[in-house]
Amino acid sequence: MIVKILVAAGVALALSATASAQISDAGDPEAFAKELRGAEPDPLSSAGADPWEGFNRKMFAFNDAVDTALFVPAAKVYRATTHKKQRKGIRNFLANARTPVVLINDLLQGEFKRAGETAGRFVVNTSIGFGGMGDPAERIGIPQHSEDFGQTLAVWGVPSGPYVVLPFFGPSSVRDGLGAGVDTTLDPVFWISTPSARYTGYSRAGVTLVSVREPLIEPLADIKKNSLDYYASFRSFYMQARKREIANGRANFDDLPDIGDFEEFDEIE
Amino acid sequence: MRATTKPFAWRLGAMIAAVVWPLYAAPAAADEAAEAYIQSVLDEAEPILGEADDDALFDGLAALVDKYVDMRRVGLFTLGQYARQMTAEQKEEYLPLFKEYATQIYQNALSNYSGQKLNVKNSVDRSERDIIVNSRIADARPGDSFADITVHWRVYRDREGKMTVVDAGADNVWLAIEQRSQFTSIIANNGGGVKGIDALLAQLREQVGS
Repeated sequence: MIVKILVAAGVALALSATASAQISDAGDPEAFAKELRGAEPDPLSSAGADPWEGFNRKMFAFNDAVDTALFVPAAKVYRATTHKKQRKGIRNFLANARTPVVLINDLLQGEFKRAGETAGRFVVNTSIGFGGMGDPAERIGIPQHSEDFGQTLAVWGVPSGPYVVLPFFGPSSVRDGLGAGVDTTLDPVFWISTPSARYTGYSRAGVTLVSVREPLIEPLADIKKNSLDYYASFRSFYMQARKREIANGRANFDDLPDIGDFEEFDEIE
Repeated sequence: MRATTKPFAWRLGAMIAAVVWPLYAAPAAADEAAEAYIQSVLDEAEPILGEADDDALFDGLAALVDKYVDMRRVGLFTLGQYARQMTAEQKEEYLPLFKEYATQIYQNALSNYSGQKLNVKNSVDRSERDIIVNSRIADARPGDSFADITVHWRVYRDREGKMTVVDAGADNVWLAIEQRSQFTSIIANNGGGVKGIDALLAQLREQVGS
């Protein structure tokens, strides 16, 4: 228990540190100019914008090796031993079990309508959806969505910080990595330390891993096969998709690179 | 007294509404010509996506991409700031290589929609020349894996008014942007400039050859 409180405290401390660092940056014109550059449509198009690229590439290679050696085979076994409908049920169950985390983040973001949807889905799916295995809420028109504390911080205006590839967890940013830490502490299961709760926690983590990886077996293999630079390709896909998640799927075409970037080539011929 | 106040209040309300309403009711600026253009492309794609034979599907998609995607423009875009640093010889080699590479990517991405029909849903014009057209799977049932996916098309209208496709994406993830991220990264990590572009060309050659 003490360890857990320390984890929570450490996360909180790190958060306040980033927050104050942000405030102290506010008056510095150089930092401001840097931030403006960071706001360019595709900050990762220039090599300087992934300051930890060297470290990240090593981590990425490590994760890729672990993925190939362990996660993909595990996901394949999972696919071979379960039926498509069962996997769908397990995905539903895991999403339903994550409700407390999603709900808290909905509320922290001031997304009250979505918070209502989250709560409504939990009630419907836990009861007539057999403890969350089914998703009758989807059929009656309350679609599923996910939230995490990294997104909440983004909504609060905390910049993402540099791109970072975390061992085992994969691509993230400083902000989203901290957010993932906070989400862990928001989960009620985290605070119960009976042996069975611990067992539940570990098995849930294991099942989550194969359940998330299984539908991605082919898409990721495709990206790997089709890319010249798997690391850069993955980084771009991740960053673009993450931006969409933070915007809660609302289409935002404002920060695309300008069409002028396409147009200026009219002169070079 | 009462009888006159009420109509006045009503009229005032109507006046305010008349001024304010268009501000809210104005749809996100759309471009009907670009929508019609993409719909015609999607109509043409329908029988191709219906091909049961993989070779016919891929050949059909390649022909479609060749007809509508401005690969020269996209290819130069994906080089970012390095486009201007290319030598004439490099450019001569790069453009056909890029076209072959990008066509493969389009084939792979579009073949995922095999057996489906896409229809234009709406559009957003970022400018007169730069229009995003959104499309969705026709007749998707809730729960289908494709049901919630929006496929975007970026339409470029040149000075003469001719339209071409310069990028495609799904759910706000765009292909050319991802390619630019890769290409500029490869060039930068291989010494940048002409030397870096040579490295990119070598990798493209290898990828396309395989």
